[in-house]
Amino acid sequence: MQQHRTGPAWGQEEKLIPLSHTILLSAVLFAVGTVGFLVRRSAVMMLVCVEIMLNAANIAFIAFARHHLSMAGHIWVFVVITVAAGEAAIGLALIVALARERGTIQVDELRSLKG
Amino acid sequence: MDAVVLTGGRLLTLLVFMPSVAGALCALSRSSRAAAVWALLGSGVPLILGAAAVCGFDASAAGFQWVERVDWIPSLGISYHMGVDGVSWPLVLLTLLLTFLSLVYSIGRIQNATRLYYASFLWLETGLMGVFCALDMILFFVFWEWVLIPMYFIIGYWGGARRIYAALKFFLYTMLGSAFMLVALLVTAHLYHQATGAWSFDWADWVAIRDTIDPNLQLWLFSAFAFSFAIKVPAWPFHTWLPDAHTEAPTAGSVILAGVLLKMGAYGFLRFGLPLFPEGAVQAAPVMVGLGLAGILLGAAASYVQTDLKKLVAYSSVSHMGFVVLGIFSFTLEGAAGATIQMVNHGLSTGALFLMVGIIYERTHKRGVTDFGGLAKTMPLYATVSVILVLSSVGLPGLNGFVGEFLVIAGAMKARPLYAFVSALGVILAAVYLLSMVRKVFWGEANANLHGLSDLTWRETAVFLPLLLFIVVIGVYPAPFLEVSEGALKAILEGVAP
Amino acid sequence: MPTLESLPHVLPEVALAVTAAALFVLEALWQPRGRARRVGFPLLALGGLLAALLFLVASPSSAEPRFFGGLLTQDPFSTFVRGVAIVATALAVGLALGSPSLPSNRRVEYHGLLVLLALGMCLLSSAGHLLMIYVAIEIVSLTSYLLAGFDDRGGRSAEAGLKYVLFGGVASGVMLFGFSLLFGLFGDLSLSGLGQALAHSTTLSTGAGRWATLLALVFVLAGLGFKIAAVPFHMWCPDVYEGAPTPFTALLSVGPKAAGFAVLLRFGTGLWPELATDAAAATSALPWLLLLGVMSTVTMTVGNLAAIWQDNLKRLLAYSSIAHAGYMLMGVVAGGREGPGAVAVYLAVYLIMNIGAFAVVSAVDRSAHSEDIGVYHGLGRRAPLLALAMAVFLLSLTGLPPTAGFVGKLYLFASLIHHGGFWYVLLAVVGVLNSVVSLYFYARVLRAMFLESAAGEPAPVSLANSAAALAVVLAVPTLALGIFWQPLAAIANFSGSLF
Repeated sequence: MQQHRTGPAWGQEEKLIPLSHTILLSAVLFAVGTVGFLVRRSAVMMLVCVEIMLNAANIAFIAFARHHLSMAGHIWVFVVITVAAGEAAIGLALIVALARERGTIQVDELRSLKG
Repeated sequence: MDAVVLTGGRLLTLLVFMPSVAGALCALSRSSRAAAVWALLGSGVPLILGAAAVCGFDASAAGFQWVERVDWIPSLGISYHMGVDGVSWPLVLLTLLLTFLSLVYSIGRIQNATRLYYASFLWLETGLMGVFCALDMILFFVFWEWVLIPMYFIIGYWGGARRIYAALKFFLYTMLGSAFMLVALLVTAHLYHQATGAWSFDWADWVAIRDTIDPNLQLWLFSAFAFSFAIKVPAWPFHTWLPDAHTEAPTAGSVILAGVLLKMGAYGFLRFGLPLFPEGAVQAAPVMVGLGLAGILLGAAASYVQTDLKKLVAYSSVSHMGFVVLGIFSFTLEGAAGATIQMVNHGLSTGALFLMVGIIYERTHKRGVTDFGGLAKTMPLYATVSVILVLSSVGLPGLNGFVGEFLVIAGAMKARPLYAFVSALGVILAAVYLLSMVRKVFWGEANANLHGLSDLTWRETAVFLPLLLFIVVIGVYPAPFLEVSEGALKAILEGVAP
Repeated sequence: MPTLESLPHVLPEVALAVTAAALFVLEALWQPRGRARRVGFPLLALGGLLAALLFLVASPSSAEPRFFGGLLTQDPFSTFVRGVAIVATALAVGLALGSPSLPSNRRVEYHGLLVLLALGMCLLSSAGHLLMIYVAIEIVSLTSYLLAGFDDRGGRSAEAGLKYVLFGGVASGVMLFGFSLLFGLFGDLSLSGLGQALAHSTTLSTGAGRWATLLALVFVLAGLGFKIAAVPFHMWCPDVYEGAPTPFTALLSVGPKAAGFAVLLRFGTGLWPELATDAAAATSALPWLLLLGVMSTVTMTVGNLAAIWQDNLKRLLAYSSIAHAGYMLMGVVAGGREGPGAVAVYLAVYLIMNIGAFAVVSAVDRSAHSEDIGVYHGLGRRAPLLALAMAVFLLSLTGLPPTAGFVGKLYLFASLIHHGGFWYVLLAVVGVLNSVVSLYFYARVLRAMFLESAAGEPAPVSLANSAAALAVVLAVPTLALGIFWQPLAAIANFSGSLF
C-alpha cells in the first residue's frame, strides 16, 4: 500500500489530539475488553467484549494511519468492521441455538464437554 | 555348496527378512496348524542357511563379510548397508537357533491367537537380526525400535498376570533409552557434515571421522548411546524393567528376551560405543566398570533372596550381563573376547534355564523355590538337564560358562586387579544362590502333591539337546569360538586400548 | 505484480471460490432428493477440489513471487501447504459421506463451507501482507466456527462452536492489536516492508521501542498460536475437537494447522530475512526464536502430559495434536532451508496419520456411538483390519520406525540439531523425551484394542463405510513412507525455500 500525503490540514490536526492520547484510549479499551472477557460469564457479554477489543485495534489503526500519513490503516478498519459483523452474526447464531437447547447462555454452565 | 553363492550374495537380507515373510503368512493362514508349519519353515530355513554359511565365514579376515549395500535415501547419505563380522556373526547364529527352538517349544502350548503368536516371534527375529547386521546408523535404529513392537505384544498378550504393566514398562524404558540415542545419532551426523560437508549415516564413515570430534563432546555422545545400551543390557541401576518383563513374559518370550534381546545392548557397546567414540568410552570406562561390578554383585544378591524361580533366573541375568559389561570396559582382548563368548553362553544357558522354569510351571502352575523338592526322583531327566544348565551358569570348568567368566576375570586382572577380585566374588555368589536353589528344588523331601509329574517329553528333550551340545562343546574346546571374533575385537579395541 | 497479471497464479483459489459459490447457489435453486443429493453435492465439491489441485500442480512459475501488490507471496512452501490443505479437505469430504454426525438436510452447506475453508487455508498459506493474513485467518475461523457447531444432535456441537467463537474472537482481537502496534512502530503492513523497516529502523535501539516490538510480537503470536493450537492458546482445542463432527475435526486438526504454520514461517522470514538463509546468524531475530522455542517446549509438554489423562479418543487426539504442533514448532525454530523443509515433511506425514486416526474414530463411532476408550476394548478381535490401521497410525504418531511418523520426527530433530548450538540440541532432547511420554498414552489405546477384551456384547464394527475404507487406505502410505521415504525427502528438498 502506498503512502498518500494529503493537504496540510493533516499536520495541524495532529496537534489537536496528540497521538499518545488516542493510543492511550485504544489501550484502555483493549484492556477493558480483555478484562471483561475474562470476568464476564454470559456468552453475549463475552462477545461484546471481543467487539470492544476489535474496536480498540481499529482506533489504534486510525491513529497510526494519521501519524504515518498512510491510507492503509483506514482501509484496514473497514475490513475489520466487516469481519467483526460476520463474527458477531455467527456467535449470536450459535448462542441462540444453544439457548434453545439448554436454556442458558452462561459459559460456566456449559459443561457437556469435559474441560 | 556355499550358502552365500546359493543366495546370490544376498544371504543376510534373506536371513533377516525370511522370518518376516513367514510371519505374514502365519498371520494370514487359516488354521493354527498351517501357521505352525509356516513358523517352523520361517525360522528353520534361515537356521539351516545360517548353519550352512558357517563354513563360508572367514574368521581370519578383518572387516565385514557378505556386505550388501543399496542406496536408501541418497540425499541424506542413508543406505541399506548390511554385513557381519566376528562379533555379530555368533549373535546372528544365536538368534537363529534360539528363535527356532522357542517356536518348536511353543507349538501346541499357546491356546489363544496362536497364529499371531508365531507371527510375533518371526517379526521379532527380523528385528533382532537386523540389529546385528546393520551397518548404517538409521537402519540400525529402525531395527532397534522394530524389536520393541512384537516384544510388547508378546509380553502384553501372552504373558502372566501383570503382563500389561510389564509390557508397558519394557516399552517405555527401552524407548526412553533410544530417545537419547536418536539425538546423539543426529548430533554425530551433524558433526560428520561439519567435518566433510556431506551427509552420511554410514558406520564406517563415522568411524573415519571419530578423531575430529572433541573428547568432551565424545563423552556426551558416548553417554547418550551408553544410556540406551545400558537399559537394554541391562546394567545396574537401569535393570528394573527386566525382572518384570522376564517374569510376566511367556516362556518362549523370556528365552528370547534373555537369550537375544539383552545382547543388543552389549553388542551396541562393542559395535557403536567403543569404535565411534573411543575417547568418550575411555573417559566413561571407570563408571561403566563400576556399573558392571555393581550388576554382578547386586544381581547375585537379589537372586539369592528371590523365592520365585523365574525372578531368580531373571536377576541372575543381571549378574551375568555385568560380566559382559566388565569384560568390554576392561579394554583388553581377553576381556572383550570373554564378553563376546559370555554373551553367547548366557544366551544358551539362561535361555535354557527359562525353558526349564517354564516346563515345571506348566506342569504344576507353581514357580516358588520352596514349592518343590525331590524333583530329582520324580523327573530324573529334567533334573539332570537342569543341573547341567545350572552348573554351566555357575561357571563350572568344562562347561561354557567357565570360559567366558574366566576370560573376563583375566581381562579385568590385566586392567586392574581389584576388578578381578570383586568379579570373582560374583562367581562365588552365583554358586551360592544357584546351588542352594538346586538343593531346594531337586533334592530333599519330595512335596506331596508333586507325584505323578511326567518327565521331559521327547520334544522338550529335543529342544534342550542342541543347547546342551553347545554348552559342552564351548566348555571343552572353546578355541574356534574365540578365534571367530578375535580379528573383529582387535579392530574394535584399536581406539581404546591403553 | 499488478492485479491482472496475478490472476493466473491464483487459479486454484479461483476454482475453490467458484465451487463454493456454485454449491450455495445450487442448493437454493435445485433441491434434488435421494441419491443425487447424497452423492451429487459431495462429488461436486470433490471435483472443485480436484480442479484446484490440478491448477496448483500446473501453476506457472514466476520470477516475481509477489502478487496483487504484495498481498500474496507464492513460493514452493506455500504451494506445498496449499496442496496439503486441498487434500485434507478432500479427505474430510470423503469422511463425511454417510456420517451420522452431519444432519442430512444440511449436507450441502457442509460441503460449501468446507470448500470455503480450503480457500481460506490456501490464501493464508501464501499471505504476504498483514491485511491478507488477517482476512485469510478470519475466513478460516468463521467457516470453522460454523462447521464446529454443525452437528445438531444434543447441543454438544453448538457448545463447541460457541467456545470456538469466543476464544477465536479474543485471539484475533489480540493479534489485530499486535498488528496495529507493528503498523504504528514501523509504518508498513507488508511483511517485506516490515522486514526492511525492522532492519533500518531506529525503533529497536531504544528500550521502549524494543519492549513495544516484543509486545506486538507476543500479540501476533497469540493469534497465530491460536490457529496452530499452541500452548497457552490451546484451551479451545480439546472441547472443539470433541464436540465438532468427527469428519470436520479430522480436517481441523490438519488443515488450519498447516496454514498457520505456513504463515508463522513466512512471518518470521518476512521480518528477519536472514532466517531463510542462515538460522545460525539470525541473532536479530532472537526474541522471536526464543518465544517460539519456549512455546514449542511448553506446547509439546503440556499436550502430551494432558493427553495421558484422557478417556475420550477425540480429546486424546486433540491433546496429541497440540503436542504435534509443539514438535513442528521445532522446525520453525530451526529455520534456514532445513527447518521449513522439515515442517513440510512433518505436515505431509501428519496429514496422513492424523486424518487416518480420526477416520478410525469416525468408523468406530458409527457403530458404537461413542468415542470413549472403553468401546475400543477388543477391537483387535472385532475389526482386525481397522485395529491394525489404528495401530499403524498410533505408532506413527509416536514416531516409531518403520512408520512415516519416524521420518517426520527425524527431519525435525535433524534440522534443529543441524542449525544450532547447545539450546537447539536441548530443545531436541525435550522433543524426544516428549515422544517417550506420548508413547504412554498411545500405548493405552493399543492396549485397549489388543490386550483387553470387550465387556459384554459390544456392537459389531462395520467396515462398510467411507471412514473405515479411508482409514485402511491411509494406513498404507503411513507404513510405506516409513520404509521408502524418498518422496518425503523430495518434499523437504522442494519446500525448503521461502521468499
